Amino acid sequence: MILRTLLAGLAGLCLTTTAAAETAELTVTFKGMTAHQGAILFVLSDSEASYDNKAPPRASGMAPVRGAEASQTLTGLAPGRYAIKAFHDVDGDGKMGTNPFGMPTEPFAFSNDAPAVMGPAPWAAAAFEVKAGRNVHQITID
Amino acid sequence: MDRRELLSGLAATAAASIVTPEVARATAQADRAAASGLDWRVAFADLDADMPRTPMRRVRGRAPAGLSGALYRNGPGKFHRPGGSVAHWFDGDGLVRAFRIADGQATLEARFVDTPKRRADTAANAVVTSGFGTPAGPGARLRNGDDANAANISVMRVGDELWALWESGSPIALDPADLSTKGLRTLRPDLAHAPFLAHPRREPGGDIWNLGVSGARAMVWRLGADGTLKSAQMVELPMASYVHDFTATQRHLVLILQPWVQSMMVQPFADSFEWKAGLGTKVLVLDKDDLSARRVYELPAAFAFHYGAAWAEADGTIRFDGCFSEDASFATENGRRLMQGTWTPEPSPDLSLVTLRPDGRASLKPTGVSAEFPRTDGRVAGGPRRWTLHATGGGQATPLFNGVATHDWKDGRSDAFLFGAHQLTEEAVFVARPGGTAELDGWLLMPSVNTRARATELHVFDARRVADGPLCTWRADRVLPVSLHGGFVRA
Repeated sequence: MILRTLLAGLAGLCLTTTAAAETAELTVTFKGMTAHQGAILFVLSDSEASYDNKAPPRASGMAPVRGAEASQTLTGLAPGRYAIKAFHDVDGDGKMGTNPFGMPTEPFAFSNDAPAVMGPAPWAAAAFEVKAGRNVHQITID
Repeated sequence: MDRRELLSGLAATAAASIVTPEVARATAQADRAAASGLDWRVAFADLDADMPRTPMRRVRGRAPAGLSGALYRNGPGKFHRPGGSVAHWFDGDGLVRAFRIADGQATLEARFVDTPKRRADTAANAVVTSGFGTPAGPGARLRNGDDANAANISVMRVGDELWALWESGSPIALDPADLSTKGLRTLRPDLAHAPFLAHPRREPGGDIWNLGVSGARAMVWRLGADGTLKSAQMVELPMASYVHDFTATQRHLVLILQPWVQSMMVQPFADSFEWKAGLGTKVLVLDKDDLSARRVYELPAAFAFHYGAAWAEADGTIRFDGCFSEDASFATENGRRLMQGTWTPEPSPDLSLVTLRPDGRASLKPTGVSAEFPRTDGRVAGGPRRWTLHATGGGQATPLFNGVATHDWKDGRSDAFLFGAHQLTEEAVFVARPGGTAELDGWLLMPSVNTRARATELHVFDARRVADGPLCTWRADRVLPVSLHGGFVRA
């Protein structure tokens, strides 16, 4: 079930660029990766509905992994509450790997390092504030 | 004050003012235990830290010549933490022990498996990781089965490693020399975190077969003797039963689907299952060479954790034994009560013979013998055999077992030795006499917790003369929590 919701959120990965009024910039940093290859794929949601796959994500991203840390900056965001779902695409196939029981085989994580308990961490645990100007959010993914 | 503290505070207040049946029972049992000088609870108490290698004292007989090697065993060893404890015996941290025998002397050491669960619970100073019968606490992380992997059911030698086994996650490799943890063993990257039962079946001199079960689907694992993955194939099961063990002949895998079936996915895991006697027990037989070749047999509703090795007869009849109970109440009731220091006497599992006939009929025939932890002489596993060895003397006022026996399927004779209520006996394993080839020519090695002496003991029996009592007993003046399964590795 972790997989299904994550995949649904990651389906149609596309980096939306917004030409909206002067807003916020968010640098997402991932650390803790043990396999120094592939990329972190993630989606950024700006509402609980989006986070729960009932509305499109605000943005998505891909941060190539060359070491134990990787990051990507998203620009043109409106200040507000956001949450991130991410996985480490170790084998670079663009999909979150699963074993035959449907359990993820590639590392995944949520903003605030909110713990998964038999499913994605809830919005309430993963949501964080993005303010006008520059923001940095760090996620451990191992 | 958080919710947990609040609740435990309320519980303490309530207990002080109201004597519940639970409290009354615990008090009565404690009084009886104190009066008799015995307290079985020491066998379920925490070990707080690893126990370094310690010489054991010989207190009976002497070691047979030719007995040399290590008995590795695993079982839950830590249950309580200040912020919250396990709710079920099966959820304690895996504690691997090594009884090493050389030159007539024995030593004992014990070391906890360094699991993500143990690290998370240690950091939280509370058992927060969910398990078989324990719900998740605040801050728990459960991304996959291995986050909850207690590595606490069994330990087996694979290649030059020991594998500590649970049943809903990966094997965890240990160094046999010092029992230190090397890490999770992922048998193939795309199979990471898949379930791997704690009761693999070894073909004599050949491959290791195992299952991993979730819902009504099972992975059939086939490994070489060195642990290399040969194949991993999914099969559909007739129902979503709780599966702890299975059995095998030379040609077949035999999966027993009991009517304790998963009807939902909740925490703790055991609460996902319901006893539905009306479904009966189904036995799925698969051909090892072609897993699509299958046959299903029907048995009456019954529950078992463990089975003996199966064998096939010339006409195609398959037989195997198991330790059957009426239902899953040990898993749902007494397994929890043990952690509260109470025990409700229940009938012992009954050593029973299952026969699957070529015409599709099947039967389950009890022997009336109290039995658990059935094992065989591994050299005859999967082929025709005569004997099963097992713990016996269950169904008493105290938990678990207090004896050991062999059962002769040819003449129906049980060769048993009972220690008495002060001993909690564990699983016995067979060790062949060097140079011998006949079935059961060798020794039984069986640890016990001696609650009177407050000691851990290791007993050696002549496997053909169990009723004579131990040939040799070694004692360490320290109680290790009672353990579940393991195996002997010859020096």
